[in-house]
Amino acid sequence: MFRVGGTVPFMDPTQATREVFWNIEYTWLVYVLMVPTLAVFGWGFWLKIRRWRHGQAAIRFDRPGERLQLFLRNAVGQGRTIKSRYAGVFHTLVYTGFIVLFLATTVVAIHHDTPLHIMKGHFYLIFQSLIVDVFGLFVLVGVALAAIRRWISKPKLLVYTDEASWILVTIFVMALTGFMIEGWRIAVTDDPWAAWSPIGNLFALASDPLMSDAAMQTGHVAIWWFHLVVAFGWIAWVPFSKMSHVFTAPLNIFTANLDGYGGSLKTIDFESAERFGINHLGDFTWKDLLDFDACTECGRCTDVCPANTVGKSLSPRDIILDLQALMHKRGDEFLGAVNGDGGNGSGELLPIIDQKTAVSPEALFACTTCAACMEACPVHIEQMPKIVDARRYLVMEEADFPEGMMDMMNSLESRQHPFAGTQFSRVDWTEGLDIDVMAEMDDPHEAEVLMWVGCGGALVERNRNTVRATAKLLQKAGVKFAILGREESCTGDPARRVGNEFLFEMLAKGNVETLQRYGVRKMVTSCPHCFNSFRNEYPHFGGSYEVYHHTQFLDQLLESGRLDGNGAPGGSNGSPTVTFHDPCYLGRHNGEYEAPRNLLAKMGGTRQVEMQRSRNTSFCCGGGGGMAFVDEPPDQRVNQERAQEAVDTGADVVAVGCPFCATMLDDGVNARRGDRDVKVKDVAELLWDTIGEADQAAP
Amino acid sequence: MKVLVCLKQILDPDVPARDFQIDSAAKAARRGGANLVTNIFCENAVETALQFREAAGGDVKITALCYGESSAEDCLRKAMAMTVDEACLVERDGNTNPDAEAVGRVLAAAIQRLEQDGGPFDAVLVGRESGDWGVGQTGGLLAEELGRPALGFVESLQPGNGSVTLRRQTDVGIEVAEAEPPFLVTITNNEDNVPRIPKTRDVMMSYRKPLQKLSLADLELDSEEIRTGSSIFEVDEIFIPADEVECELAEGDTLDERVDQLARRIHEVVASIG
Repeated sequence: MFRVGGTVPFMDPTQATREVFWNIEYTWLVYVLMVPTLAVFGWGFWLKIRRWRHGQAAIRFDRPGERLQLFLRNAVGQGRTIKSRYAGVFHTLVYTGFIVLFLATTVVAIHHDTPLHIMKGHFYLIFQSLIVDVFGLFVLVGVALAAIRRWISKPKLLVYTDEASWILVTIFVMALTGFMIEGWRIAVTDDPWAAWSPIGNLFALASDPLMSDAAMQTGHVAIWWFHLVVAFGWIAWVPFSKMSHVFTAPLNIFTANLDGYGGSLKTIDFESAERFGINHLGDFTWKDLLDFDACTECGRCTDVCPANTVGKSLSPRDIILDLQALMHKRGDEFLGAVNGDGGNGSGELLPIIDQKTAVSPEALFACTTCAACMEACPVHIEQMPKIVDARRYLVMEEADFPEGMMDMMNSLESRQHPFAGTQFSRVDWTEGLDIDVMAEMDDPHEAEVLMWVGCGGALVERNRNTVRATAKLLQKAGVKFAILGREESCTGDPARRVGNEFLFEMLAKGNVETLQRYGVRKMVTSCPHCFNSFRNEYPHFGGSYEVYHHTQFLDQLLESGRLDGNGAPGGSNGSPTVTFHDPCYLGRHNGEYEAPRNLLAKMGGTRQVEMQRSRNTSFCCGGGGGMAFVDEPPDQRVNQERAQEAVDTGADVVAVGCPFCATMLDDGVNARRGDRDVKVKDVAELLWDTIGEADQAAP
Repeated sequence: MKVLVCLKQILDPDVPARDFQIDSAAKAARRGGANLVTNIFCENAVETALQFREAAGGDVKITALCYGESSAEDCLRKAMAMTVDEACLVERDGNTNPDAEAVGRVLAAAIQRLEQDGGPFDAVLVGRESGDWGVGQTGGLLAEELGRPALGFVESLQPGNGSVTLRRQTDVGIEVAEAEPPFLVTITNNEDNVPRIPKTRDVMMSYRKPLQKLSLADLELDSEEIRTGSSIFEVDEIFIPADEVECELAEGDTLDERVDQLARRIHEVVASIG
């Protein structure tokens, strides 16, 4: 049977509409039921907002233009959600379906409850019938795809809760019953516009031969009320389930940190702080608390976490979810704790660091602060700064941390560098290079730029070649530069990442003073950690500099013609295949992915290949966050996981741009390269191999 | 109970070999680019005292004492950051290298002065030896000056009933002794007395704790002998031993040949040394 136009000889599309509440009596009950529904919904969100308001202050409504852009891109536009292909597809189906169905319900309400009878004509046919039907189908398909993943393929990154399953079931039931209601209405009323509602019509066509009109009409009433009760119940449930992300996630994206991961750690006012670091929910900012409520349990953070990948207990997802659970379950005590009486009259604050949860010291001290979790999070949750906050508590209040980190901090305190037992001084690497040291110059202002060598460059044998190559390239380009020599101190990066903010602040203030003494404004460094400190962190301590990573600076020298990259093709490396490993603190933390690749491209004879995880999804070498100083268990080494990936590209050379990456990957590649000859080289070393040797070869 | 721990500030023993310089004329090491740190065995002694206080339930007052230059204040502050209660610096000026006997006399005078003011110390803890000269005599000579019994190479103190149980490392194993205060022990390291990292709050609080400064004149020790600090032995000469390495590769086409060559050379070298 084909219903279109079957009973109406002439159809005027401008008159097309349908009866709202067809076949439904006691429609006033809808409005009565709506009251408790919206009341519970509002109360649920009020509870959330009330909790967030107990957090510490944070400025997250400034720069509205940038925030709106981010909101449009990653909330409305689902920019990050769609990066995961399968989840991206089904989420987009459900998400767009929800928006369209919500608009459709709003249209019905306006049409029925206001004098604006808008649900008619072409708008009714095209939007309210066809588009709504198609998007309703999107919801069904999307939920089905999600269910296949959750119940059949069962990837490790998901959290398997009854709640999550119920969400899928209820959404599916709502969409399906919606089509049933529509179908039976079409069938019984012989709707002349049935063809505009293809899915509902399909249902009508399927039901027609099987059911009498009376049966369909009865079924319609029953399912209509069932649909309404499920929908209202679902709406009331939203603020108490992870579906609350429909509201919390866009808010979280709007209030995200706009300053990049490199500037995401808070400073501490040591004079006034009651506690150093965080071990109580009330010490988080309201934005941190909002983060916990914005989590959708998608697991992408844990999926990309280097520590988790190699089998360590760190799981950023579970840290967020355990803190969320603590915030929800212990709501009263939590609120009380903020008020200072512990809520139970004991005055005790509930600790968040707990050996039995994901927020265990062991997990916290496995973080490399690589920020892969933050980059992967579709809703911009800031996992890493919270880990550092908790580390701060352990380090500064409890003095509780791994042994390797203790040696590192001891060395930083007494020697201003983290490499206890190094056999080199800060100037040994300059032997035979004739490099100016600021303190020995008549006029330090003659130096156009300060070369900040970094502890990892000067004091670790393997990296001295990198800083030598950088210096020789600067000399060759005729750049007037100088170093601080023995006056250089660690920037404090490892101390800060480990959680010793006090030590970091001391080192930072000392360095700012030294740099001020010589009037330093412009710096180049081959260490992305130093680069990040100067660029994003020192401004808080009175030091603002124009700072370049050496790959950026060298790229500019090539670009401006002060250096010529087309020396002997590939230098002593022949024509190597090179894969570049993005350092976290250059790439993700500071958004520089191109300069090192440009440099490699400009070197004659090199061929570049990319690792699967590169650029903003690059996988940490394992050395950040103070982890370079910790002995990892042999079967849980992040550097080997990364080295394997590099070796698997077939590259002859793994190019790096960070002294920590260099040592970590050197070890990793040596363990994983097998019989192949794979070298780890800094981009500056490669460039010097190319240009420098060509220079020497020239008569 | 009252416990006193003696500290010494020394040149960082971890200074890179190339940075280590000596002044042959002054017969002393030059500071150069090296940092100043607390002698590690002295830090072990501080840690041992702190653990003793914890084991005793807290009713132990710990004082740190140092004979050193004004820079040694850092060592005392760090000890107080580790939660030592108070500190005293006897300021040394001019003489960079007093011998153990001179140091013992200064420390004894300072201890007696502190005891006049605040009552006797039940236990005096001294590091086994210092990381610069490694003479290892200060503890014994100080005990002699104080006229108190002493025991060396102690690794832990445990509170007993009116006495203190000492664990002491010997060549044949651990010796456990009961000691009646007052006494002096020299402290050696073990895996349990690794100096703790201070909590940040304690670091900040250390600047509010009392640090008393005394001069040799205050202690009525302003003699030439103490000033020059060479009462029992004299340094003839100091030098950095030349580190000569001769490297020779065993030659041969096959592994067997190279092994034979290596064995032959070992025989020859051993024979030449006699």
